Amino acid sequence: MPRLPRADWYDLTRDMNWDFSYVTEEDVFPELLSNGFGVPKQDWWTWDEPYKITYAEYVHNQAGKDAGLFTVNNVVGRSKIFENLEPGWMAATLAHYGAIAVGEYQAGIGEARMARFGRAASWRNMATYGCLDETRHGQLQTYFPYQALNKEPRLDWAHKAYHTNEWGMIAARHLFDDMFTANDAVSMAIQLTFTFETGFTNLQFLGMAADAMKVGDIDFGALISSIQTDEARHAQQGEPTLKILVAAGKKDVAQNLFDRMFWRAWKVFALLTGLSMDYYTPLEHRTHSFKEFMEEFINTQFIDQFRDFGLEAPWYWDQLLNEMNWVHHAYHLGVYYWRPTVWWNPVAGTLPEERAWLEEKYPGWNDSFGKYWDVMGENVRAGHPELTLPETFPVVCNSCQIPLCTPAGYAAGYLSSPLPLLLDLDGRRYTFCSEPCKWVFEQAPGQFKGHLSIIDRFLGGVIQPPTIPGALAYMGLSPEECGQDGTNYAWAHASVPVAGGVGR
Amino acid sequence: MALFPVQGIVEGDFVVVLVPVDDTDPMTVVAEKIAYHGIGKRVAPQDRPLKVRWNGTVLADDSTIAGLGCAPMDVLEVLYA
Repeated sequence: MPRLPRADWYDLTRDMNWDFSYVTEEDVFPELLSNGFGVPKQDWWTWDEPYKITYAEYVHNQAGKDAGLFTVNNVVGRSKIFENLEPGWMAATLAHYGAIAVGEYQAGIGEARMARFGRAASWRNMATYGCLDETRHGQLQTYFPYQALNKEPRLDWAHKAYHTNEWGMIAARHLFDDMFTANDAVSMAIQLTFTFETGFTNLQFLGMAADAMKVGDIDFGALISSIQTDEARHAQQGEPTLKILVAAGKKDVAQNLFDRMFWRAWKVFALLTGLSMDYYTPLEHRTHSFKEFMEEFINTQFIDQFRDFGLEAPWYWDQLLNEMNWVHHAYHLGVYYWRPTVWWNPVAGTLPEERAWLEEKYPGWNDSFGKYWDVMGENVRAGHPELTLPETFPVVCNSCQIPLCTPAGYAAGYLSSPLPLLLDLDGRRYTFCSEPCKWVFEQAPGQFKGHLSIIDRFLGGVIQPPTIPGALAYMGLSPEECGQDGTNYAWAHASVPVAGGVGR
Repeated sequence: MALFPVQGIVEGDFVVVLVPVDDTDPMTVVAEKIAYHGIGKRVAPQDRPLKVRWNGTVLADDSTIAGLGCAPMDVLEVLYA
């Protein structure tokens, strides 16, 4: 059967825009689901994706990817590769699956919204593929861990985590609801596909794929590499949307949407990827520090791309650069100390050689962060590991929902005050970890002010009994599921603080 | 007497912690209750008395939450004198 070249029919078949006569434009594209920001509809019809694909090509490509991927999964499943993964890498993969897998399905809801409420037929066409992509990612990232449940039962958190009130998952849902579940199609194209996927998923997926291969986890490496090829395609919905907004004089709208989500994405990636790269990935397999990765892939490549569209770095840029030096070190301390509240076994990552690496990558780390590990290590060596476990909760930020670590920034010399920021609004007190988090909240207080953080729930009597065990049960964590030290305190017994550094 | 939640920061620590105190506790007791969650656990202890700072002011040892008019979830810093 003769086939026309794609270029001869592609534009015709994907452009199904027309003027409505039986219904109004507002009825078809209600603002709540499809905020056009006042851009004329004909302008939206110029939407043109930089990467073209047809349905036949899509199916062919995806089938090929899955065939390769499931072959790897099948072979690895019969090997001892999983059993031989190092504890730190196991922690990284368990954290990843729980935080990401079901969120992919939720991203599918977002893509489906753009597939219906996107302002141009060409955009809706691309979003349809995006919806199929995200469904695939959800399926893959629940199926792969399911295959290994007999080796690590807590891999069921790939499916379970999103349905619990575990504190990190409250943070993830708060972010993703803002980014797509409760978002309109146009804002989503800027915030999900451009800001989050173009900017940040590269960090998690490309970085972790490379690390996975070095570690020998070819199953996980192949999985997230395959996912990233989809992300790279459907993330391109952001660029044409951004161009249309800017061309229509809505640069301020685009900048605001970007600034709000870039900061939010940063906080969650510092928590997830920051720990994986700088503490969980075995030392011999690390190529970049988290900070170096951020500088290369986000601060240089991505922001350069952003400036090409006539936009500027966010107003909080200096604060972002500042936090890159310290915030994920504090988050790691917090996750380790409050390890019963997570579903993986955090490793300390503070063996002497690991501390030397941290000191090299983050000059001053031993003085600013090593001192906490020194005290905890002394307690372990003195036979009191219980002193490295929590008896209360950290207060969390009412924007990012992550524990308030401002004192760490102050103690390390990066902030002028250890105090969090407070806001009293409509008879309720809100606490924030940083100016940008408070600013994000204040951009849409009606959207955020009703949300209860894990601490608000604790104080409000939602969590019963109001104790550590009560809170763990509320988070869906049975004693068998609660995180424990990933190396049975090997770090503490291997390192003894000495003047000017750490020795054995 | 009433339980009163505050946000506690131990000087030198890395995190803000939730601490229930009693609104009639003198600041010496408030300091101990907050310090319990940081000193000797992540922050090395020192042989000096503890003080409480609120809104930039170091409080008298015998002052109380109720007497000062603190609001729930105010931030109290514990530091060595």
